[in-house]
Amino acid sequence: MLASLSDVTKRYGRTDGLSNVTIDFPAGQVVGVLGLNGSGKSTLLKLLAGLLFPTAGKVTLFDGPPREKRAKLVYLGENDSLWTWMTPADAETFMQGLYDDFDVGRYRALLDSLAVPKRKTKAMSKGERGRLRLAMALARDAKLYLLDEPLAGIDLLSREKILQSIVREWHTDETILLSTHEVAEAEGLFERVLYLREGRLALDARAEELRNQGRSVVQAFREVLG
Amino acid sequence: MKGFRTLFWLEYRRSGAWAIALIGSLAFWAWGLFQVRRIELAEQLGIRGMLVAMAAVGGAVVLALMIGRLRGETRGGQYQVLLLSPPSGHAHIAARYTFALATAVLYYVMIGGLACWTLWMSAVPLDAGSIAQLTLAIPLYVLGVTVLPLLAWTLLLMVFTSAYRVSGPGWVPGTVMILGTLFVLRWLIEGIVRVSYTLPGWRLLEGVQTAVLQTTVEAQLEPVATLPQEPLWIMLALTLVLLVIASRIWREVEA
Repeated sequence: MLASLSDVTKRYGRTDGLSNVTIDFPAGQVVGVLGLNGSGKSTLLKLLAGLLFPTAGKVTLFDGPPREKRAKLVYLGENDSLWTWMTPADAETFMQGLYDDFDVGRYRALLDSLAVPKRKTKAMSKGERGRLRLAMALARDAKLYLLDEPLAGIDLLSREKILQSIVREWHTDETILLSTHEVAEAEGLFERVLYLREGRLALDARAEELRNQGRSVVQAFREVLG
Repeated sequence: MKGFRTLFWLEYRRSGAWAIALIGSLAFWAWGLFQVRRIELAEQLGIRGMLVAMAAVGGAVVLALMIGRLRGETRGGQYQVLLLSPPSGHAHIAARYTFALATAVLYYVMIGGLACWTLWMSAVPLDAGSIAQLTLAIPLYVLGVTVLPLLAWTLLLMVFTSAYRVSGPGWVPGTVMILGTLFVLRWLIEGIVRVSYTLPGWRLLEGVQTAVLQTTVEAQLEPVATLPQEPLWIMLALTLVLLVIASRIWREVEA
């Protein structure tokens, strides 16, 4: 198993971010993490990344604590996470210096295909910054990609480019967890969907099964979380 | 090492403007020192000494702010990127600290140069040994006893408060650490005073004092024979301990 959460609870002060969640993630899946605002999507991804530590339960990544295995995963947070002075060339220096699995050729090809301008990030639009961050993330040869709202606040054309890149760069031995509110646009990407409601796992289903039942991922979203 | 080099480069890019502004501020202090020539000769050295001291204290504050700023990067997500990068906490802390250290050395050595210039303007004759002491030995002593531990403490405060910010109120560990430091500082100063001069003192100020006393301008200065070396060793050891603890806590930080 690539990653797993076993009866995990995460509390922020008196509020539960996630409650008693148990999930396994095998290799080679594209998983949609869906839910309304505050449902625990970001908490789930941060726990898997090792950015948060569970209040109770256990999170395992590559048979170890997530923080210790951080070099093997890609985490794309919901924030910009780029320094304003950075250009795509600076980002290359940064990634190449820190990550052994960073592929410069792939990064440059991604910059081209995602049409990322060469200026500083402070002079880029949100969509351009989002595309740059995605290029930095997908240029790594990791086994687990945790993408938290990579489509949020981004224009339609950029969203399409981002989704196309995710599909193109995905290898069958890699697992991608993608949280998004753009359920309809990303629906075709998902092999498995997790529906979170108020910090609890409301439904864990294979997209194919939903379709066999005559339901789309969006319809199930409305039924489970509506 | 590759990771450290990149983190040091990152630190240079993040904080380079701060460092340049700090070093550039010496032009302002030099201008101030130069203006003092219009004041009565007997008071010049004292006022210039005060200005140099203000530059030294101001520099320490700016360096602490430079090394400890975190809020924006926590909100912006850059801190998350650093926490998840492969280099260890030691590498992250070392890179941030080394850049601040390099800036501090440059700044305080230049302040030593300003001190030399000040004495020269006040017609105090300085030999080569005294100039070397003023520009290197004394600034490095002051750095080791005060600025370096302050910067290490700031880094520890930054990491310590951020470690507990997400799951609980971050101001609690911050307040505990600041209040705790006040008590520890008192105990530390008492301890240092008690053990000072157990080892032979350093005659760092001797040449400078002799030169000052040779002039009639500041003949009222009390001669201080030597500087104790114990405070330097104790504070350097404390700096190292604080940095090691900060590096260890880095692993526990949530963001």
